[in-house]
Amino acid sequence: MKVDFVVLGATGDQGRICSKDLLQAGYTVLLAGRNPDPIQDLLKNKKASFMQVDVRDIKKTAKVIKDSGAKIVLNCVELTWNIEVMKACLLANAHYLDLGGLQEMTIKQYKLEREFKKRKLLALLGCGSTPGIANVMAKHAVEQFDKVDHIDLGFAWDSNIKEFVIPYSIESIVYELTTPAIVLEKGKFKKSKACYFEGTNKFRGVGLQNLYCIVHSEVYTFHKYFKKMGLKNVHYTAGFPEHSHRVIKFLIDLGFSSKEEITVKGTPITILDFTREVLKKKKHPKNYEETENVWVKVTGVDEDMNKTIMMECLTTTLKGYEEAGSNINTGMSISIMGQLFLKGKIDKIGILAPEACVPSQDFFEELAKRKMFVYQDGKKIN
Amino acid sequence: MKEGVIGILGLGAMGQIIAKDLHDSFKGKVVYLVRNPSSIKEIAKKYRAEVRIVDISKPESLVKAFKGIDVIIHAVHHEFNVRVMEACLEANCHYVDLGGLFHFTREQLKLNEEFKRKRLTAVIGMGASPGITNVLAKYGAQGLEKVEAVQIRIGMKDFSKYKRVSPLSASYSLQTLLEEFSWKPAVWKNGKMVFVEPLSGREPYVFPKPIGKQKPQYTIHSELATLPFTLRAKNVSFKIAFDDDFVEKVMLLKRLGLTKDEEIEIKHNKINIKSFLVEVLKQLPKSIPKKIEQYEIIRVVVKGIKEKKSKTIILDTKIHSVNETIDKETGVPPSIVAQFILSNQIKERGVFPPELIIPAESFFKELTKRKIFIFQNNKRIN
Repeated sequence: MKVDFVVLGATGDQGRICSKDLLQAGYTVLLAGRNPDPIQDLLKNKKASFMQVDVRDIKKTAKVIKDSGAKIVLNCVELTWNIEVMKACLLANAHYLDLGGLQEMTIKQYKLEREFKKRKLLALLGCGSTPGIANVMAKHAVEQFDKVDHIDLGFAWDSNIKEFVIPYSIESIVYELTTPAIVLEKGKFKKSKACYFEGTNKFRGVGLQNLYCIVHSEVYTFHKYFKKMGLKNVHYTAGFPEHSHRVIKFLIDLGFSSKEEITVKGTPITILDFTREVLKKKKHPKNYEETENVWVKVTGVDEDMNKTIMMECLTTTLKGYEEAGSNINTGMSISIMGQLFLKGKIDKIGILAPEACVPSQDFFEELAKRKMFVYQDGKKIN
Repeated sequence: MKEGVIGILGLGAMGQIIAKDLHDSFKGKVVYLVRNPSSIKEIAKKYRAEVRIVDISKPESLVKAFKGIDVIIHAVHHEFNVRVMEACLEANCHYVDLGGLFHFTREQLKLNEEFKRKRLTAVIGMGASPGITNVLAKYGAQGLEKVEAVQIRIGMKDFSKYKRVSPLSASYSLQTLLEEFSWKPAVWKNGKMVFVEPLSGREPYVFPKPIGKQKPQYTIHSELATLPFTLRAKNVSFKIAFDDDFVEKVMLLKRLGLTKDEEIEIKHNKINIKSFLVEVLKQLPKSIPKKIEQYEIIRVVVKGIKEKKSKTIILDTKIHSVNETIDKETGVPPSIVAQFILSNQIKERGVFPPELIIPAESFFKELTKRKIFIFQNNKRIN
């Protein structure tokens, strides 16, 4: 049976959210991953099928994609494997969307641009919440300027119950908190201390949060696409609630984020794999709810006047997705962008980021259907 | 003193203190029994000890390595106590260990008849606590017609200056500590054993200066497995104080599910969560002291009736450690007692907790030589 989409990493947290969203919209989906146990509920849907895939094997992954007949692959695998999945898509002649690669991986991914263009394929990088929603909001705001100087952006989240729940991929968290942050200052990329504290700020729906400057792919792609608008400064900050940041830092300090192996009964086990699996077992407390604010503040000049636009997208825990908390904004966004591409509303080829090709109105409308609301200068616009 | 052969099984932190004490006080031969001889090459050379390789997971390896040794001091983890005792029975060795965390102690006592039959002695729980505590409890209870209560309270204060502080520094085996924080503590109340919640009973308690006010908590400990019966006490309790920061960190590990004694599957391999956690924590950088200065008080309060009058005896072991580790009070007693067995100061055969077999006066004299002092109602008695 020919399917509409292949979701790689469909058995992980974001892959599950993305697949559920696609199936609810009525599409046929091949859910690919290593272990089907976590997606048994989704596989009850007649439009869902499963294939075991190890993305480290590019040829086999390509064969699975090709055999599925799908033209679009949504990559929800850990970002470490983005290049392998892109190569599999090239072999299978399929379009590619992913959840982002932070700065380092994103730069590597753009090196495959010629091959994607040659095959008339699109690789859309960073289609989650941030990167993803943030990029489309930036595009929406930038279009209202003659000249842009500054973009500050980031996320802030909190929960009603102050108990630690792993907020998103432990691999990404560890990378973001331990890798030197990269900012764009006066048109040049500058490295600074990993996760440095930048003070506090009050966010709609979340309240006062501590801000930490971290590495993120938007700094790189905004420069790429908005340089011609005069953009010289981009700054990314993460707003973790204190109860969550404290625990993450504690785990990092104690070595739980290490990729070193410890041999147990003759089998080497990576410490980070252990940490992820143990933390995954921790259930959300009863009635636990999260709110996340993904925000972008654009400063520039419009009709010779200095102007600032503040864009925000608020996501709260959604019925039916309670275990995902506010993380639905990542898995659902890639699903929406995949659907917009299938409908022909994204019509470009090559390697692009969402700010270069995703139509903001259509995208915001789809977000609203999923109770993710976009605000411009405090006014709801979707 | 009769010369002979003493074997130390395990040359970890405690094993090395025992090794030093034997080197300083014992004229006979010492054998180090270890899994990895390269890790102790230097100390074996320095203290002129013989080294034999053992694999504690294989009982036949223990029996073979124990041959020709008179007394084995077991300084590996208490989960191996029974196995090592059985190997001693087979190899004809006397046995001394550092404690069995209540549950193992109970199992060990069951080997009494076999040790008697073989004309061998096993002294179990012969460190500082259990060990010195048991001897003090017996000493305090002497002459009382009725023992109303034995309260053991341990307090410590670290005045050391550090070049580097470990993110989780423990004063003894992390594995033991994790067990102490998760197993229900036994408390002997009005002639009945009750098991209370781990970490409960954390109330302010004033130790003599310079330790002062601390918050000792109930903890599972070996003393409770024997003192209620050997002293016929009505109430026995054990509490130890940890600093707030340490308690908070261990509790956090517990809340995150990292201390569970259960298996988890990681990439098709089943591993025990707690055991893997211990391995991760073992890799933590150790604190590097600039100057060590630590105080510890091991307090045993014995309350009872003598000549129809209530009597309270407070016995304190005070350790002031400058430029050497405070743990010596745990490593020194098994060395003393192994030598007592060799010199026939201990002649009884069977399995004994310290309070039933250690000659208190001689033991205190040996402690004096090592600058470990005992105070009765604040007056030094050794």
